[in-house]
Amino acid sequence: MSTDSDTTTNAEARDQLIDLAADFYDQFAEGDVPSMQIPTRTKANIVFDEDEHVWVYGDRESTRSAKTISGAQKLLKAVYTIDFLAEQLDQDRSSTLRELYYLSESWDLTEAQFASQDESNSLIEDLEIVSEVKREDFHMRPEESGATVMGPLHIREQTRRGEREIHCQEDVGEGGYQIPNNPDTIEFLDTSAEFVLCVETGGMRDRLVENGFDEAYDALVVHLKGQPARATRRLTKRLHDELDLPVTVFTDGDPWSYRIYGSVSYGSIKSAHLSEYLATPEAEFIGIQPEDIVDYELPTDPLGDSDVNALESELEDPRFQTDYWEEQIELQLEIEKKSEQQSLASYGLDFVTDTYLPERLGEMGVL
Amino acid sequence: MYQSLIEDALDGQHVEKPRYVHDLTEMGLLDDSHRPTGKLHDLWATVQRLHGVTETDMCLLPVKSVEAVDPPEYVYDISVPGSTGCDENFVVVNDGALSVKNSRGQQGIGISAAVLYSQLTSGKPAKITSRTKGSDEAEYFELIIDTDTNEPEIDVEETTTWDRTHGTRIELEMEGNMRARTQLHDYIKHTAVVNPHARIELREPDAHIKSERATDQLPDETEEIRPHPHGVELGTLIKMLEATDSYSVSGFLQGEFTRVGATTADKVIDNFRDRHYGREMAWRPPGAHEDADVADAVERVVANKGADATAEFSQRVAEALADYERVAYHELAELVDDVADDVEEKYDKTFGSTVREKAVEAAWSAVTGTGEHDGEDDASDGVEQLRSDVYALVDEATSTRKDDAHVQGLAERLAAKFDGAGETHRLTRAEVREFVDRSADATEEYDDATFGETAREKTLDALWDIARRVPDDPPNVGTIAGERDTASDLLEAMRETDIISPPTDCLAPITDDLIEAGLRKEFDADFYAASTREASVHGGDPFIVEAGLAYGGELESESSADVLRFANRVPLVYQRGACATTDVVKQINWRNYNLNQPGGSGIPTDAAVIMVHIASTNVPFTSESKDAVANIPEIESEIELAVREAARELKSYLKKRRSMQQRREKQDKLATILPEMAEKLTEVTDRPQLDIDDSLARIMNNVLVERDRDGDAVELTVENNSDRSADVELTEIVAGAEPTLANGDASVVEMDGEWFLKWSVSVASGDAATLTYEVSEDADFDVSVEGIEDEKLTINA
Repeated sequence: MSTDSDTTTNAEARDQLIDLAADFYDQFAEGDVPSMQIPTRTKANIVFDEDEHVWVYGDRESTRSAKTISGAQKLLKAVYTIDFLAEQLDQDRSSTLRELYYLSESWDLTEAQFASQDESNSLIEDLEIVSEVKREDFHMRPEESGATVMGPLHIREQTRRGEREIHCQEDVGEGGYQIPNNPDTIEFLDTSAEFVLCVETGGMRDRLVENGFDEAYDALVVHLKGQPARATRRLTKRLHDELDLPVTVFTDGDPWSYRIYGSVSYGSIKSAHLSEYLATPEAEFIGIQPEDIVDYELPTDPLGDSDVNALESELEDPRFQTDYWEEQIELQLEIEKKSEQQSLASYGLDFVTDTYLPERLGEMGVL
Repeated sequence: MYQSLIEDALDGQHVEKPRYVHDLTEMGLLDDSHRPTGKLHDLWATVQRLHGVTETDMCLLPVKSVEAVDPPEYVYDISVPGSTGCDENFVVVNDGALSVKNSRGQQGIGISAAVLYSQLTSGKPAKITSRTKGSDEAEYFELIIDTDTNEPEIDVEETTTWDRTHGTRIELEMEGNMRARTQLHDYIKHTAVVNPHARIELREPDAHIKSERATDQLPDETEEIRPHPHGVELGTLIKMLEATDSYSVSGFLQGEFTRVGATTADKVIDNFRDRHYGREMAWRPPGAHEDADVADAVERVVANKGADATAEFSQRVAEALADYERVAYHELAELVDDVADDVEEKYDKTFGSTVREKAVEAAWSAVTGTGEHDGEDDASDGVEQLRSDVYALVDEATSTRKDDAHVQGLAERLAAKFDGAGETHRLTRAEVREFVDRSADATEEYDDATFGETAREKTLDALWDIARRVPDDPPNVGTIAGERDTASDLLEAMRETDIISPPTDCLAPITDDLIEAGLRKEFDADFYAASTREASVHGGDPFIVEAGLAYGGELESESSADVLRFANRVPLVYQRGACATTDVVKQINWRNYNLNQPGGSGIPTDAAVIMVHIASTNVPFTSESKDAVANIPEIESEIELAVREAARELKSYLKKRRSMQQRREKQDKLATILPEMAEKLTEVTDRPQLDIDDSLARIMNNVLVERDRDGDAVELTVENNSDRSADVELTEIVAGAEPTLANGDASVVEMDGEWFLKWSVSVASGDAATLTYEVSEDADFDVSVEGIEDEKLTINA
């Protein structure tokens, strides 16, 4: 069921990278100063794409140029990385971001080595943007995120050891089906699910599974594990686009969790170049809403300074500039309180599955 | 008389003065027609020159060499040859300066001391050889100083032969220990810094220091100026008073000092009279309604002058007195004299001095209120008039918050003091001050009042203001010279009078260029800077401060910078810590000038030499040993400004050097990164090798010079990637074939089969210029570029 446009062959990915190197080569040959333009990856430089309903990078660009020592060094590292990736693609191997960082230690030129993993990570992002090839197609993967799916879904996964057919409720243990790094290798075979329920914390996910929520309501419970990895977001988008399932997000009631919802729904600032591929603009927020804190009289913690700052910064974030979010955030700033998902347990272990979720999902029209 | 005749004759006038002219003719100085002879001209020139000799000193003698001769060990033989015949005034010690001058020494004490010291330690006389330009033989003297009379004695005087064409040589043998040898060497070295026009040599048994001239330009002769009244000491003043031809103080002041004209002289003399004679207190004359009737009082003391004359006399004295707001004793005496003269004439009666004195006395008593009117001796009323007068003054002068009884008490005591202060009430300011103090103390003690310093000062001012300056003529010059206290009064009067600052054009600074030349030849450094300030004045002495800096090179960077101090071209060696120069250098924040200064104060610890020279007609030293310059605020401020001026140049040099260094570092770094990047790119893209010089030049904002060949056509491109315009001179050396120039803007010179093509081009920032010529293909080239730092230049040709 996957679409062709989402996959790139090894040869294509390799050619894109070599083209990038050829640009630098030409700049040298012309006697120009080698440089590379990259969109500025900040909150101020994301714009709403009216067609796709996702947030993408705007027009602001920064230049990495060999005019400065640090710029020259970044370009040198980029060229070394291109060389490495091209070779990796030739041999059809893959590696993790962390491996790339350690691998650079083996490069003969100390100037080309990475100083930290942040540097190599962001360089990969740069290359991704400039070459328009996804990291997954460079065969670069993050460390395993461990995110899982539990629910009535039958899939076929293309693994290195052959095809596997798996039912995400019947063929898996209590832990559920683990989402692979590149979910585009999955083919959806069949599902009886009614909707997707993305859950922030492991504890709440386990509670839902223990209470049999997925069976009772035909829900696909996707565990986000905090800020969701790209694979998790990609899978969520595919579940929505290809199986036409409504997507809901259930998180804690604090500013950091709203950002988790934001990255599922609108795309993250760091990967705004891939928003069309990763974001699910139709995803809806279940809670915990600041409103719920008041309505259900949930146990709370006071807002810290950093919480207040984060809320205020969200008010300025173009992704949150909707009536709904402004109302909720201002309410939270007013009551100066936050609540965790688990605070629902104050009304009993079954309260969340018997009362809260059915009520909220009913209000949202999902149930 | 002879002098004026001779001067007139030399001026070309016909002189006539029976006996004198006859004598001059007899002496062969005038010819028969009373015209000056050659002999007179010569004689006159000699006299003038001798006059010049006594006024010069060693300051401007170019010190040629200082040379040590072998045995005995450690004996120095100091030679000081002069260039012309007029420089030798070592034999006669000056009589002392009646003028001031910016020079090394003033009174010849130094050379006398040197001769004396050598004579005392080695027992040998000073040997002087001297030869003036053009003379056949040299003069040789042996000279000792008679320690009883302190007069020089010439033991040997003979002519001799000398291999020098002119000059003076002094040989002094003296004993010394050699512990301070480093200082001696420093002294010579430092002397060389501030005397770049001199060649100085020091020969020692095992060392030979030689410092060549850095310039042929002799320092300007300094001009003597008369001293400024604010710049003389009491001893000098007395000496001047003794030596002057003037009789009056006014003439003396105008004749012997600079910046003193008639008006200023009068002001000084007024102040001098106040100090020397004091002033006379002037009191309010009694009004007509008051019981002290002046006319009655005067009439009573005039006898035997006839009723009319007596009446008119006393009436007119009383009337004239009433016209005065305040009257002093001498004014009253004058007034009485005037009236007496008038009345004498009118009535043909003689008013002798006795009558007049009595009349003055009677009128004065009426004014002060001490008169015995009504024949009663009433002590309480004795000074009634004075008391009310003083009360009004004190009341006016002191704060309104003062208790009236206390003011009364003070006024009463003051009045009593004035009453007891002699008939004329003539007092100096100090005496009045004493009256005020004593009266105030007494009032405080008995009346429990308080009179602070301000109240006393104000009272004193009020009293002094109403006092009248006395008409007495100042004592004449001879008298003042004979009385130290009077001379001191004159000096004080000179100091308290406002007088225009002395002229400053009499100073001869070394000048910044020559300081730099001096430093350059004595110190091996990377950078030199110097500054010369405008002339300034402190007290009565003009001065100029100059500063110099040397930095880097072979200078020691781990220890404190050397601070060289000079006063009138003389190195100051001792008392470094007590010197204003050192203080100022320590106070400057050298970190601002990019020098290393631990703790942010003190002498910087860096490879630097800091020199300060003070030129003045009178450098203020902390003591007579002339080791350290005193902390005079005006001088300190000028030292600071001079040093900062030079330091600013150092700062921009260091800044530039640092930025060049950063540029070099960047270039080095990029020169490793970019070729590696290019190589990797070649590998990844599988393309031919890259040349990255052009990119590198653009990255470094360099001026890029490239050569392109197309058959016979050669094209040189100058591309300016920097942010300022570049003026460069390109020289292309073509060997093997003769080039032909397409455009005529280059100069071509051929030498031994090589053609030197030279262009001068100015390329604006971001622009490029193209220079073309043609040459057959087998020629070789080599291009060189001037006018731009190597760091900022990339030649790709």
